[in-house]
Formats: sequence, structure tokens, C-alpha cells
Amino acid sequence: MFDLDLQSRTPIYEQLYKKTVELIIKGVLKENDQLPSVRSLAKELGVNPNTVAKAYQELERNKIIYSVSGRGSFVAKVGDSSVKDYILSDFDEKAQEALKIGISKDELKERIEGL
Amino acid sequence: MIELKGVTKQFDDYKVLDKIDLTIPKGTAFGLLGSNGAGKSTILRLISGIYSPEEGEVCTDGEKVYDNPAIKEKIFFINDETIQFTTFTLEELKNYYKCFYPKFSEELFEKLRSTINLPLKKKMSTFSKGMKRQAIVITALACQTDYLLLDEAFDGLDPTMRIIVKRMLVDAMIDRQLTTVISSHNLKEINEVCDRVALLHQGNIVFSRELDSVKGNIHKIQAVFRAADASMPQSYSKEELSGTGIELLHFEKNQSVYHLIAKGDVEDIRKKLEPKNPIVLDILPLSLEEIFIYEMEALGYDFNAIEIEK
Repeated sequence: MFDLDLQSRTPIYEQLYKKTVELIIKGVLKENDQLPSVRSLAKELGVNPNTVAKAYQELERNKIIYSVSGRGSFVAKVGDSSVKDYILSDFDEKAQEALKIGISKDELKERIEGL
Repeated sequence: MIELKGVTKQFDDYKVLDKIDLTIPKGTAFGLLGSNGAGKSTILRLISGIYSPEEGEVCTDGEKVYDNPAIKEKIFFINDETIQFTTFTLEELKNYYKCFYPKFSEELFEKLRSTINLPLKKKMSTFSKGMKRQAIVITALACQTDYLLLDEAFDGLDPTMRIIVKRMLVDAMIDRQLTTVISSHNLKEINEVCDRVALLHQGNIVFSRELDSVKGNIHKIQAVFRAADASMPQSYSKEELSGTGIELLHFEKNQSVYHLIAKGDVEDIRKKLEPKNPIVLDILPLSLEEIFIYEMEALGYDFNAIEIEK
């Protein structure tokens, strides 16, 4: 599930962070689903457990997951988390590109209406 | 925690390490990088108490290591040479190390040995290089020390053995806060396994940092700028781009495409270049290999300067 590109330039913890967010956006991970433990994920990927723990801490700090002591980490409610910000900033980026090449705001609005 | 304070190591009049300071926090996997002869193996031999420093001190958990058996029990050093004990069988090797390491686990040893099917009663002189390596690695893991030092760590191990070792390290890091110090030229492996790295060059430490902060702090930029109106210049010099406040390490211009290497945060770089009206602005973190090569180049270890005669 958490297939990473270990050759990539992007730091492993950042890839893990993004992957988790993507899996939540796609609905593969749903609210209150349990995430793999730091140990099992680190072993599966063959990476440093401190790196996995760091990604989890970052996810928790941004309220994307929550942890229950002794039980593990779980997916938080999307509305409460920064998954929303993540999608919106993606949207902003694309919208800015569109505006840059001359697509009007009205055209973009229409497009949203049509979705 | 392992601490090297003002350590100088000298062989005759050749200074291998020159007043270095290095701290390796407990529970980390620490990667030692550096050119050949930079002093990596010397550091490992100092940490394991094989060498004593000419100046400064090497401490583990607050105590000097040299001639200190109580501390040495906590440390296992896997040498980069596999020539030792080849007259032993694996069983003899195991029993030998068991004498020195009170936490040795027969159970763990047998579990590992049977996983990789290594013969117990054959002389190690009949083993291949990789098998000798396996023998010492499983013995080391079974010793259950707090510190594990690996010189040219994964050399000679096959991919399956590599993943077994990595998984063992994960368990040991979580269960007993194992600290590993790995020297390697294999930057891919360091990238996966380590959370902190130090770069050595000619007996000095160039940097010692968290791996993510090393990778997150130098970027490769590809940019194309277009003058939005007549008041803007058509092209920029290195100085003009540095003038925006970004720390440029490298500047190259190929027709309208700029190839830059800059230090700093991505968003900050983006913000500073935005006023120049970039129509293309790709910012990528450097790979560990590129960081290594770049940092070495800055120190005059320049592979571009090497010309091979034809």
C-alpha cells in the first residue's frame, strides 16, 4: 500500500506523508482506519523506524491521523484535518496556471459548476 | 550516546583525524560518508576502542572506551575485512564471541542461521566472501549490543540478506534503542537506513546533520524567465540572481534555461525568484549522491578535474 520510491530525491518521510494523504483522498484509507505500526511499516519498506515515526508525528501534528496510546495510529476525520488544505493548495496551483495562460476566472467558475 | 571530543588520530606523522568533534545520539542509525582515506574506518576503530586517540577523548555512554571492557561489551564492530577467524567453524566463531558478550542470544543466533542456511560445522575458510560476511553479521546481531558498528556495511551481502539485516536493525532499534554507525560508499543504502549522516573529508568533518535536513536544504533549480514588460531584463547574471537573497552554489545558463543549485527552503527560493517572472520553475531536492559530489567539489575534490589519458 505504501509503495515508496527509495531512489527518489524526495525525503522518505515526506513521501510517506504524501502517500498517506493521497490514500485518504482516494478513499483507500477511511476515517478511523488503523495505520500499520511503525515497526511493521519500517520492516516492510526496509527503512529506518525513526523516519516512519517522524512521518507519523507530522501527520498527527496536522491532525490527519490520531494516535491512541497502546493501540496505534488511526485516520482522523477529513474535515478536521489538513487534508482539505492539501487538496485546496493543489487546486490553487492548477487554477493559477490556468489564469496565467489566459483562461478567465469566469471560465474556471463555469467549469466548477459543471463538475 | 557516542561522543568524540577534539579527537586527533595520527599514524607516524600522518594525521588521519584532526581535532574532530562528533556526537552520535542513542537510537539513531548514523551514516559516515566520505572519500577514500577520509578517516571513516579510523573513527569506527576509535569508537570500538581498538585505537586510542592521540588527543581528545572518545566516550560511549559517558565513559572512555579504550581499555574499558565494561563499555566494550555494549559495542560490536563489524570490520570491513573478512579475513579473521577463517580457521574457525561458524560454531567456534559463535562460542568465541559468546565469551565476550553476556547478552548473547543462542535462540536469535539459531533463528538467523537457519533462515539463511549457513553451515555450522564447516570451516569458514571454505566460505565465500558473502558467507563470511553473513556469519559475522548474524553473530553480531545475536550479541544484542547497544551499539553496532558496520564498516562497509552491506558489502558482499545479497539483496535477501540485506533486507534481513535491515529488518533486524528495525526490531533492534525499536526494542532496545540500538545505535548503528554505518560507513559506506553505497549512498542508496545510507539513504534508506540512516537518519543522521556525517560527511568526512581529509580527516575533518564537513557536516553532521539529520539526513532529512541535509536533503531538504539544497535544491536543484531549473528555470526559464520571461520579461513581462520592456522594463525587465532579458536575462540574468549570477550576481543578479544572488541579489534576490538566495544562496547560489552553482550557476549555469544554457540558452534561456538556467540550471542553479541553491541552499535554503523551497518555498523561500520560490518566493524570491517569483519577481523575476519565471515561466518555468522546477525545484527539486538534491539526491544524496549529488550532495556528496557537490560538497566534495566545493572542497577541491573535483572529479571534473580528473582527466584520463587516452
